Amino acid sequence: MANISCTNITKAYGGNTVIEDLNLEIEDHKFVVFLGPSGCGKSTMLRMIAGLEEVTKGRIAIGGEDVTDLPPGKRGVAMVFQNYALYPHMNVADNITFGLRRQGVAAQEIQQRLTQVTELLGLEAFLSRKPRHLSGGQQQRVAMARAMIKTPRVFLFDEPLSNLDAKLREKLRTEIRKIHLALKTTTIFVTHDQLEAMTIADQIVLIRDGIIEQTGTPDEIFETPASRFVADFIGTPSMNFLPATVKANGSGLYAEAVGTRLPVETNLFAGLSDGQKVELGLRPVRLKPAEPGSEGALEGKVVLVENMGSEGQVITNVKGQEISFVTSRFKSISPGDHVHFAIKPKDIHIFDAETGHSLRSE
Amino acid sequence: MVRLIIRALSRIFLVGLIIIALGPILWTALGAFKELRDIVTPVPKLFFEPTLANFQTILTNPVIRDGLLNSLIVVGAAVGIGALLGIPAAHVLARHVRRLSADAQFFVLSLRFMPPVAIAIPFIVIYLDLGIYDTLFGLILVYLITSISTIIWLAVPAFERVPQNIEEAALMDGCSDAEVFWRFALPVAAPSLFGALVFTFVLIWNELLLALTLAAKNSTLPVVAASITSLGKEIPWGVINAATVVLVLPPLIFIGLLMGLINSLVRNTPK
Repeated sequence: MANISCTNITKAYGGNTVIEDLNLEIEDHKFVVFLGPSGCGKSTMLRMIAGLEEVTKGRIAIGGEDVTDLPPGKRGVAMVFQNYALYPHMNVADNITFGLRRQGVAAQEIQQRLTQVTELLGLEAFLSRKPRHLSGGQQQRVAMARAMIKTPRVFLFDEPLSNLDAKLREKLRTEIRKIHLALKTTTIFVTHDQLEAMTIADQIVLIRDGIIEQTGTPDEIFETPASRFVADFIGTPSMNFLPATVKANGSGLYAEAVGTRLPVETNLFAGLSDGQKVELGLRPVRLKPAEPGSEGALEGKVVLVENMGSEGQVITNVKGQEISFVTSRFKSISPGDHVHFAIKPKDIHIFDAETGHSLRSE
Repeated sequence: MVRLIIRALSRIFLVGLIIIALGPILWTALGAFKELRDIVTPVPKLFFEPTLANFQTILTNPVIRDGLLNSLIVVGAAVGIGALLGIPAAHVLARHVRRLSADAQFFVLSLRFMPPVAIAIPFIVIYLDLGIYDTLFGLILVYLITSISTIIWLAVPAFERVPQNIEEAALMDGCSDAEVFWRFALPVAAPSLFGALVFTFVLIWNELLLALTLAAKNSTLPVVAASITSLGKEIPWGVINAATVVLVLPPLIFIGLLMGLINSLVRNTPK
């Protein structure tokens, strides 16, 4: 059992509060990603769970045991750092086994476990090398091996892939995910890369300014963002936002934005009223080319077409407002063209113009 | 063409500088192997019959031999104890003391602001009262001010350069703070720390003023070397030169070791 519960966590440096009254439950065996922009407190949160930062107020429990005042080495957690943090004066084998040797585990068992993890991570050839003679990817594998050999209750990853190039990042990401599927150890992974979070997580905890904006599966976060901030942070290309006014139309409601009437799915947004100021969120991938004059069709002048390989992003100007959409037929579109595109009413996100909260009622 | 000339001129300039810098030192070293009549000739001699008599005089002269021994004891002890106290203090300043760290470091540095002359005379009085005037212990004690402050001053940045994550990884592996210092911070910072020790060693080895004022019979080598000039009626240039060579040798060997170490480090750093 290694569920993690953080209750009423507050962290302050002097008078500067970076995390305030944060509550979080992480289930056993879950792969959880802390996601957020730089400086949002996600790493601080991770380091508090690790025991590297003191908790100003609140309690942290791992597997039902209160670890708030325990030193890092007594918590049964292992951590992988962004810059690898290998011991430069020890060779790879000594780096990996240091923790076990320190605990006085029998040499035979250490050897056995070392063989196991090095096989899993493909490090057999490097055991006698010093860390400085390894590439970044190899160093991070050593760091992962060092964490794994301790068979901890919880793995903590602090932006482990940020220093690697894109190709290697993808590869190691898949490897980390595979290892988690095999070991099923509860894992917390910190990143500022939303794509990384979406691809790797069972559950995403989106943090902003020390406050949890939303917790959910990648699907939930993508499809039903709780706020404009979440909607903006998740998804590539990022969401279009349009200021709009809700208007009643006999039977139903529509939102008027950039001179166009967009029908509103009243089942999803029950609380809307006539005249309410809102902000619409339209995902570029959900906007599709449409017939001119069809319901809710926006007309825009193409500013730029970005080739993304199999699809292209078309950036248009709709009455002074920049709106982009993604289409596979981008090759027939060129700057200066007039295009029409529309979105299904159920794919429209509506946020409060003031607070930015989602106005979704279910 | 112009570039060639500029390059040639800059080479000549460089060679000139080297001659100016090394000339006197080499002349002194050369003089150490000359007999007095070879030194005082009106026409300087580059070729002569070398002799080890000067070194023999130095190493058989009990005063000079004692001076050398005293120097080794005093400087060794001052640097050793300074390292023992200063290096852990520097680690604490670099890692654990958050709020007062800057003030503490400035205080340590400020110990080096005061000119030795200012403390020399009060120290004579205090040492006479305590009965440690003209003892090696007294010299070690006063040099500790220099060695501890210099070592702390140089070791704090050395420890700050150790990536903090390495120490944190050690904590995650279950190490206590003391173990983190001993098994990780110290070995990783060792090359820079060695540099700090060498610098401190040279600084104290060459110290003359305090050694001159606080000791009489138990003087260190710089004091002895300075007093050789009054050994006889004739100034024994050969002996002075030899004494200089002996005086310069230990720091030179130490610095040579340091350079070798630094070079090997630079070579081993990955691109």
